[in-house]
Amino acid sequence: MFCEKAVELIRELHRMGDGQLPAFNEDGIRQVLEEMKALYEQNQSDVNEAKAEGRSELIPTIKFRHCCLLRNQRCIAAYLYDRLLRIRALRWEYGSVLPTNIRFHMCAEELDWFNQYKKSLATYMRSIGGDGGLDITQDMKPPKSLYIEVRCLKDHGEFEIDDGTVILLKKNSQHFLPRWKCEQLIRQGVLEHVIS
Amino acid sequence: MDPSEVEFLAEKEMVKIIPNFSLDKVYLIGGDLGPFNPGLPVEVPVWLALNLKQRQKCRIVPPEWMDVEKLEEIREQERKEDTFTPIPSPYYMELTKLLLNHAADNIPKADEIRTLVKDIWDTRIAKLRLSIDSFINQQEAHAKLDNLTLMEINTTRSFLLDSLNCMYKLRTNVQPSTAAEKTMDY
Amino acid sequence: MDTQSYLPVPPGVGKEENFFSLDDILLSHERLPCRLETKFPRLGFLEKSSDTRDIPEGTKMEMPLWVAKGLYEQKRRVLAVELPKVYREGWRTVFGADPNVVDLHKMGPYYYGLGSQMLHFDSPENPDVAQAILQTFIGRFRRIMDSSQNAYDSDTSALVERLDCLERALFREGQNGLNAFQRWEKGHAHLTASNLVINYRKRKLADMNV
Repeated sequence: MFCEKAVELIRELHRMGDGQLPAFNEDGIRQVLEEMKALYEQNQSDVNEAKAEGRSELIPTIKFRHCCLLRNQRCIAAYLYDRLLRIRALRWEYGSVLPTNIRFHMCAEELDWFNQYKKSLATYMRSIGGDGGLDITQDMKPPKSLYIEVRCLKDHGEFEIDDGTVILLKKNSQHFLPRWKCEQLIRQGVLEHVIS
Repeated sequence: MDPSEVEFLAEKEMVKIIPNFSLDKVYLIGGDLGPFNPGLPVEVPVWLALNLKQRQKCRIVPPEWMDVEKLEEIREQERKEDTFTPIPSPYYMELTKLLLNHAADNIPKADEIRTLVKDIWDTRIAKLRLSIDSFINQQEAHAKLDNLTLMEINTTRSFLLDSLNCMYKLRTNVQPSTAAEKTMDY
Repeated sequence: MDTQSYLPVPPGVGKEENFFSLDDILLSHERLPCRLETKFPRLGFLEKSSDTRDIPEGTKMEMPLWVAKGLYEQKRRVLAVELPKVYREGWRTVFGADPNVVDLHKMGPYYYGLGSQMLHFDSPENPDVAQAILQTFIGRFRRIMDSSQNAYDSDTSALVERLDCLERALFREGQNGLNAFQRWEKGHAHLTASNLVINYRKRKLADMNV
């Protein structure tokens, strides 16, 4: 049956229901596009034949191929769209710099889209909340205090806080830091929020 | 909504404290606070009360309803009635947790109160489930949610909405509209 | 972080599909027994049992739902779609007796979705099918709700295994609400690492072990 490759692309995403981004399946997309090209060409020649020789019995076949074309189109559109939803989510979960292994899974256009999204979000955040702007990716839960106790889960190097002091985030070291400075690192699994 | 957001809203409720310091009136966007005089009761939002309490700057006076006798009465009432009875505070669950966790020493019979409030909560949640089920079963179109609190609705909101949505779609199947236009999905 | 940033396009449920929904694309890939009522020239290679050039009129073959929907016409006879067994009278009676005993995952897993989609094809049984899937949903609802609201510690995998896709989604939604509340009640209000990040790390480790 036609369109099996296209559905394989959809299954690939569906298997990762938690929002992880599988590697961009360039080969799969290419195969679907090739199938579409073949379907289109066959249909075009059959349409011409039906018209020229009045062979109306070809119409069901033409309609069938047309369905397949539309089906392939839907699958590819859904594949690309769902990937964009995942890529958008990455900005919120990881922050503006993505780990290399994730970037490797994106195609050039997707990287470009991610950068554009990052920029629009940054522009928007600068435009609200007065002079300093407002980081809307912070304080996803109502904060209880300005400072929190955190433990380092891995070596992360030097880290500058508001007043200019630089501290060293070394594995297993414990610090008392401004909450808004840590939130992203906690989300990334570098720091762990300690509740005494 | 995340329960922590509901709790955040509850922190705006007013509670009486007896401060042990003095401070002039403070003018804030959300309203004026104080003045504070040692030994003189004053009403402040819960978030401030807890903050002061943690720094040992005040004693919290528990709300009137946070009392064993009153809560026992409410519990009996709740068990007797089929519908949801009016609750003395729209944030009874959140306030109980906040005040008991941070100011248990200011609340007489704290443990009994905790159990009573939990009993009331459980009774109400069981009722809520029962009414959701009969709502679905009888394919009702609207329901009255009188006297339910935000936290109670919040525990089941998305589940209920999704279920009702499914039921609505499946019901639409049974009564096909006369003008059923055909759309194409490939 | 509890709030998920990745929210996939939800399925349409009912008669309308959601164009971008992955669930709906997989649902519309379900195969239906069909009978072709016209000849399909030059497509013989799609029908494995014969090696003719055309698919002749009267051929019985399985077609994905999306093909059936695309070709089906009310006025012209192009193909006839047979109702899958689960929606026929025999099974409808079983469901009517006690919808809770049925393994809807095995019978589906898109029991409600496919049932609703079948209404696109004219059949005198349609009103009964629509009524049957609605009653099945109502009949199984209490179980799904109760188990999703009590399941914090107990093992529910046996029950979940027997749920249709739509029911599973509801079950998960119910559990999320309950879990969030119970975490709050126990005072676990601290910030946590993103689930997505954690899952990525797990996968990386798994890859390294291969």
